[in-house]
Amino acid sequence: MATEAVIRATGLRKTFRTRVALDGLDLAVEQGRLYGLAGPNGAGKTTLIRTLCGLLRPDEGEARLLGWQMPSVRVRSQLGYMPQDFAVYDDLTVLENLEFFGGLYDLSRKQIRERAGELLDLVDLSDRRDEKTGTLSGGMRRRVSLAISLLHKPRLAFLDEPTAGVDPKLRRSFWDHFSRLSEQGVTLVVTTHLVEEALRCDVVGFLSQGRLLIQGSPTEILQQTGTETLDDAFIVLQDRGELTR
Amino acid sequence: MKSFTIMRNVLWRIARDRRTLFLIVLLPLFFVLLYGNSFSGSFRNLPIVIVNQDNGLASVRVKNADRITLAVNLAAAFVANLDSDTFDITFSEDADGAASAVAEHEVWAALVFPQNFSHAVVNEALQQSGERTAEVDGQTVTLLPSVVIEGPSTVLTLDDGNPLIADAIITSFAASFAAVLGTQQASLTPESLLEVHPLYGGDIRMLDFTAPGIIGFALTLITVLLTAMAVVRERTSGTLTRILIAPIRAWEVSIGYTLAFSTVALVQAAELFLASALLFDIRFVGSAAIVAVIVIVFTVGLQGIATLISTVSKNEAQAMQLVLFLLIPAIMISGVFWPLETMPATIRPLAYISPLTYANGALRKVMLTGQGWADIALELAVLAGIAVVMLVLSILMMRRQAFSA
Repeated sequence: MATEAVIRATGLRKTFRTRVALDGLDLAVEQGRLYGLAGPNGAGKTTLIRTLCGLLRPDEGEARLLGWQMPSVRVRSQLGYMPQDFAVYDDLTVLENLEFFGGLYDLSRKQIRERAGELLDLVDLSDRRDEKTGTLSGGMRRRVSLAISLLHKPRLAFLDEPTAGVDPKLRRSFWDHFSRLSEQGVTLVVTTHLVEEALRCDVVGFLSQGRLLIQGSPTEILQQTGTETLDDAFIVLQDRGELTR
Repeated sequence: MKSFTIMRNVLWRIARDRRTLFLIVLLPLFFVLLYGNSFSGSFRNLPIVIVNQDNGLASVRVKNADRITLAVNLAAAFVANLDSDTFDITFSEDADGAASAVAEHEVWAALVFPQNFSHAVVNEALQQSGERTAEVDGQTVTLLPSVVIEGPSTVLTLDDGNPLIADAIITSFAASFAAVLGTQQASLTPESLLEVHPLYGGDIRMLDFTAPGIIGFALTLITVLLTAMAVVRERTSGTLTRILIAPIRAWEVSIGYTLAFSTVALVQAAELFLASALLFDIRFVGSAAIVAVIVIVFTVGLQGIATLISTVSKNEAQAMQLVLFLLIPAIMISGVFWPLETMPATIRPLAYISPLTYANGALRKVMLTGQGWADIALELAVLAGIAVVMLVLSILMMRRQAFSA
């Protein structure tokens, strides 16, 4: 099957005390898709990603990545995850960070060096490779974090707000890279608040209060919401989500 | 003044943090209870051996009489005067066996009364006072001046590996002698009756005695703080999530941490031992290799404890408080200053779950008295058990951290 879903979630439910973060959520993402996860703050985007990655156990339902029920050790070598916080060692240099995390995957020193070089070019930090990560700006540290997440060439990557605090020029080159990865068959799930980013996705899912309100290509979403711009569509959806609550 | 705004903010945030609040309120009381309990006890049931070869008083002349044989056995009177709570007394006929029981650490002391003990004591008393009569056990006796007896020497073989216990034994014996001899015989001091043979030549100072425990405590504090802080920081910074989502097993992560901090602990231990020896001439008569093994096994267990602390702590501040909450009592109850033997039964079980108790015991045996593998087998086995259990628990917790990170 060419269009086998590499991410399949059924009936995911997760509550933190009394707050419902995921409310019986179903999701299927096919291989090679660039999937944009949109939604207001607190909609459950991060919870969904963490649950899919096996970092949170759902109260109900199940998540499968590449056919394996999560959490599973087997998918980890093919899984990339970029958390919302920087999750880098401030006391290590940029390159040392890459080398350490690369070492956790079964990559040789030579492979790590090569990949680190490529990714540092991508995130435009080649000239800062030997600086302590802690001395870099927030945007730069996020770029280090992205480089770490993609170092081992994952088949499937979850990127939680990879462009927050990143300047427009670099943000565009990130998305060019995401598109290239997706053409190469890598499945990407990227959370975003930005309409221009959502427009570059194959599929956009709009999450509100733990439920997937709508899912489809940007054009399909405009059609279904009857709006002119994706901005308007998101606002309409957000209002709708709050009404149905 | 904006200081009050700052103050309110700090206090409000403390009040919000239930665990911190709990510790702030409970910690002082907890310390006082522990301190009071661990310090207030006295020695109980110290095993000693007594070999009583004393024939008692014979052939004495009583005032206004010719000769009379008194059924007075001063050694027996001495024994009867010993506090039965303090000592657990075994009687033996075998003087050599008694002494070797001390050397084997089966008993703390062996006291051997010579055959002529009673006779010699009375003789000595009369000679020193220059009188012909003496009051012994309520009766006035006069010794034949022609009878010359070698001075009364009661041989006390003493395990001075624990100077506190050694002192307590001597004090207790002296008190018993004083009671038997009565106030009249002030010239005959209890010390002059005791010929003390300390097992370690009386060379073990209080400094030497407490050093192993203090070193163990320093190791505990540094290792546990360092490990707990590192793991908490790894979690709060998100790097732990990143590690745990990589194709690595929880046990590999835990063992990795253990290896790293064991290395650190070994370096620190070496420094602690060297500095103690060079600067303060701390007694170290045993094998350094055995000490190294004790340190490794001990610190592996500590790291497991540290990892557990880090998993239940939300942040560095909580971890720090938990560390202090667990470690300060440890030094009070682990026999470092006050021997376990004096501890009330109510808190002694706490001592037996503290790894420091076993580390201290084992280090003391090796450093102070040069004992070997066989003598520390029990302590080492318990430490190894703690290490294994803690390591397994920390691996399980590490696995769980992935889901709570």
